[in-house]
Amino acid sequence: MLEFELNVNGERRAVRAEARKLLSDVLREDCRLTGTHVGCEHGVCGACTVLVDGRPSRACLIYAVQMQDHEITTIEAVAKGGKLSRLQRALHEAHGLQCGFCTAGIVMTFEAYLKENPRPSEAEVREVLSGNLCRCTGYHNIVAAILRAIDAHA
Amino acid sequence: MKPAPFRYHRPQSLDEALALLAGLGADAKLIAGGQSLGPMMNMRLAQPAELIDLNALPGLDGIRDHPDSLEIGALACHHTVASSPVVRKCCPLLAEAAQTIGHYAIRSRGTLGGSLAHADPAAQLPLVAATLGAEIAVVGPRGERRIAAGEFFVSLMTTALEPDEILVSARFPKTAPGERHAYAQFSRRRGDFALVAVAATLSSRALRLGIGGAEDKPVLLTDTVAGGGPDPAALARKAREAVHPVEDPRVPAVYRRELVEVLTRRALQKCLSSN
Amino acid sequence: MPMPRFRHIGARLARKEDMRFLTGHGRYVEDLEIPGALHACFVRSPHPHARIGSIRTDAARQSGGVVAVYTGLDLAQWTTPLRMAPPIEGLLPVEMTTLPIDKVRFHGDPVACVIAESRYLAEDAAERVEVAYEPLPAVAAAAQALADGAPRVDESLPSNLVSVQRFSTGDVAARKREAHRVVDCAFHQNRLTHLPIETRGCAAVWDEGRQHLTLHIGNQVPHPLRTQVAARMRLSESQVTVVSPDVGGGFGQKIALYREELTVCAASRQLGRPVRWREDRMENLLASSHAREDSCRTRAAVTKEGRLLGLELEILEDFGAYCFYPANYLARVVAMILTGPYKVRDYAFEVKVALTNKCGNGPMRAPMAITSWVIEGTMDAIARELELDPLEVRRVNMVEARELPYTMPTGEVIADITPRETLEAAVKAIDYKGFRDRQAAARRAGRYLGLGFCSVVESTTYGSKFYKAAGIPGSGHEAAWLRIEPSGAVNASVGLGASGQGYETVFAQVVADGLGVEPAQVRVQMGNTDVAPYGMGSRGARGGTAGGTALFLSARDANEKVLAIAASMLGFDSAEGLHLVDGRVERDILGERVKTDITLAQLARTAYLDPTALPAGMAPGLDFSRTYDPPPMTYSNAAHACEVEVDVETGALKILRYVVAEDCGTVLNPIVVEGQQHGAIAMGLSGALLEHMRYDEHGNNVTGSLADYLVATSADLPNFEVIAMHTPSRGNPVGTKGMAEGGVMGAVGVIMSAVNDALAPFGVVADRQPLSPDYLRALLRGA
Repeated sequence: MLEFELNVNGERRAVRAEARKLLSDVLREDCRLTGTHVGCEHGVCGACTVLVDGRPSRACLIYAVQMQDHEITTIEAVAKGGKLSRLQRALHEAHGLQCGFCTAGIVMTFEAYLKENPRPSEAEVREVLSGNLCRCTGYHNIVAAILRAIDAHA
Repeated sequence: MKPAPFRYHRPQSLDEALALLAGLGADAKLIAGGQSLGPMMNMRLAQPAELIDLNALPGLDGIRDHPDSLEIGALACHHTVASSPVVRKCCPLLAEAAQTIGHYAIRSRGTLGGSLAHADPAAQLPLVAATLGAEIAVVGPRGERRIAAGEFFVSLMTTALEPDEILVSARFPKTAPGERHAYAQFSRRRGDFALVAVAATLSSRALRLGIGGAEDKPVLLTDTVAGGGPDPAALARKAREAVHPVEDPRVPAVYRRELVEVLTRRALQKCLSSN
Repeated sequence: MPMPRFRHIGARLARKEDMRFLTGHGRYVEDLEIPGALHACFVRSPHPHARIGSIRTDAARQSGGVVAVYTGLDLAQWTTPLRMAPPIEGLLPVEMTTLPIDKVRFHGDPVACVIAESRYLAEDAAERVEVAYEPLPAVAAAAQALADGAPRVDESLPSNLVSVQRFSTGDVAARKREAHRVVDCAFHQNRLTHLPIETRGCAAVWDEGRQHLTLHIGNQVPHPLRTQVAARMRLSESQVTVVSPDVGGGFGQKIALYREELTVCAASRQLGRPVRWREDRMENLLASSHAREDSCRTRAAVTKEGRLLGLELEILEDFGAYCFYPANYLARVVAMILTGPYKVRDYAFEVKVALTNKCGNGPMRAPMAITSWVIEGTMDAIARELELDPLEVRRVNMVEARELPYTMPTGEVIADITPRETLEAAVKAIDYKGFRDRQAAARRAGRYLGLGFCSVVESTTYGSKFYKAAGIPGSGHEAAWLRIEPSGAVNASVGLGASGQGYETVFAQVVADGLGVEPAQVRVQMGNTDVAPYGMGSRGARGGTAGGTALFLSARDANEKVLAIAASMLGFDSAEGLHLVDGRVERDILGERVKTDITLAQLARTAYLDPTALPAGMAPGLDFSRTYDPPPMTYSNAAHACEVEVDVETGALKILRYVVAEDCGTVLNPIVVEGQQHGAIAMGLSGALLEHMRYDEHGNNVTGSLADYLVATSADLPNFEVIAMHTPSRGNPVGTKGMAEGGVMGAVGVIMSAVNDALAPFGVVADRQPLSPDYLRALLRGA
């Protein structure tokens, strides 16, 4: 058992866990932030994507103990003071989610990507989105929502 | 699937990392980005008793601009390599290939050193390293070695790295003026490992063609360019004959060879049509 | 029938559900905090077929944090076996113990359960359970399973042929003799799995004091599941509560009571502590539920013009090793509705289902997915062989509006469908003539474009009479209740299980229109068997029609009562001319609509708190409930068209354009319906292009990760152009038809049609899925 501190959504969190405990599990169980979902633990589905120092990362491929000295951002921190981000609002308006299980991973991926590339083409959106699996929507409305979020900014 | 227990080490210097590696021996595995090792450990296909996390080692994630080459640290992640203006300018083949690795989140964590050391025969960075004739720097108890890419990739997922050595950087020759390049891969889906990949550089005098995924390590063909310029179809046929893929029921050897020919021809045609 | 006029039904209302999902506050079963819960992990067979010699659990039990290790013998004491023996002709009864005792039948079959303080510790201990297996020869393909002398998967059966059903009407043999040609086609659909992004899981909480089990589980059919759990655990139904929270996709995988969930329930009761289980993705791939893997063969007797005289169908389905559903159940629907919108009187089928040493099959979104591919593929084959235009062959055979209702040769009646209209709309939208020109030009340039069509007649909603006629036990009815609270707030419930379909929003719209309030005022609850009325759950695209109608009727009852109260308040004898609109009573005065002062809140307060002011003879309270049994079958229809390009040098396939014209009756919420269409098409295309659950020739599953089992990403799929052509059904008061599975059927068929059109110059025909590049390449090379 190790004892260490994490910085999650701007808050310091004391954690007591084995070295092997995955960041996805520590966030969900020890930090009680269940918005990050686990879909595969292979690093493929993208449901567990969080931001590490602002960069999208698969939480299932990181041991929590590796994250001391880093800033982790999860879905719970995206809407500020109850106000949805542009992207979240666009997903709502464009019906870009159904069961919701893959949604957090997509939001985190694109909150980061749109900062880096504020005006992607549809092809670029589909390419970046290809790292997140969705079984409900067929992606059509997710793509439409992201393009809508860009337009809203312009 | 949860990994088996291990002892975790986070050395703060290269010397400390090397000492740990030497001391712990075969029980230890190094982890950098964790994008390849992580899934294997989660599935318990790998169960190292000791895990040495390299991410705290200072100074290994940078890109150094030398007159004729770029030296990229082992901890530079694929996203950094793909989006760096100096890599895009001076080593465009590397940037272009790195951009196709996995997905956006994978590229944020996966490292150059990790990919080279892992030596997957279909992977982008080993292929580009072989094609460009990169030099890989490793450090161990016996000091530093520089290993040419052609000698670094030995066989399937096997490199010239000794068990007590750590890959610290790779040096890629810069593109020459007027040199053209192309990278092409064939995979089932965007971001999947390639069935076959080709990387090519073409100068007025020479062609370097690297083929990945067809054998247990990248295959390099070099050719001088005839007066009239390269003949993509002829070179593609030559490439096809040069590879000897293993027979695989899912991907017959004859199919892999066909893909080598088609990708080579298309990559060279693209090279010729670009300015 | 003109489309009924609604205020809220049909509105593009953004979903109520979204807020919690977007902000990370959804509550899926794994998110629930259950103090003191232990964690389960299953030990699974590495062999496809083997006798279980001994199971040694000492080392596992001594492992850190382990509380118990259970095997099949333990579970046999605490639970009953599953007996699957509906009285269906040609179907052999089968039985399975909760966990295997004598032998394992597929790679991944669970043989022991470790219960520990954490999943990590449980997995450590699971590695220390020693099972002595004696491997047996395995059957890894249906044809092999049916060969003489094949090893038997279920030794209580005489062979691996678990079901055979035959049907014949008219005289197909005679029609074949008379025909100008008999066209013979084959279709092979791959083995798939549902792959919801949320795997299975549950948490069982046994209350020793109350002798009551609460099972938290993401499930599509909470009440039938409760019935099953109670029966298998020898409990009374009132000793079990099933609570289904948010569910991360079901698609048919989260219906049956599988061995793991039942084991977790029994363990909780045995230990007197909560026990929870989360299936990991490898388990989900290996051992949850598989689907499809059917092969079909048709023989169509046709005239010179391509008109159908008679049709024969053979199906062989590889059902896997265990029957969580009657084995005939999935393939039979294909045979029943195969002819779809095409006219034919003489029809015969033979459906065989074989057991093999693979994970058992279950219904996966559109269990009848192969249907449209088979009939449309047959139409395409007729066109090819007779050198006719494939569209003309369809037109010659398709039922016309004036011929509806039309009785299919199997007795199924199709009514209120518009297949001709949707086909012509798709043809127009995809610019058929323009395409043929472009295709010809492309061919001259060495590029191979293809255009495919697939008409779909989708069976939905399945009423009780259907089950009875088909000999399948069970009901098709649905139940709802509605309650107006003293403050005027509206609570409603229905016996469905949500897994992302937007029920909370859509059914609020239905209730809002039935009652006369705004959707924001209505809260719809589902999933808790103590709260919701006993319903048949969500499957077979029945939610909108069966659940929606039950809610609508309850809301109409409520509307009637509250207006009677209003009439009395206004001093009228009857409520005629009174309406409830957005929670306020309005009256007709001389042809004008005039608002009154009376609100629903006032009416409710009176009903609950001032009942002596109610009209004479009226009981206090505002509680309503209804059940609704839909017609035996309700049909919707669509026509899919798509344009593809095949790279003949590599075998790569690209979808250039995808169009669907759909008629699914009254649309409760267009954005939800479009979302369902997109999702269904995507799932169909993903299965046709990429997905393949593979076993090697020894029966080992070689697709244990998402790197092996490939599903479509956003880079693999096009945008979907949806043309709405909805006409109401006369079968229910709201006019809905059900949809959500037809998209799978259409996608599976249209992509084959398009690829074969692209490959036509090479004289080859693709007849199997997935359409991998190596398969297309092999076809092209004549390999």
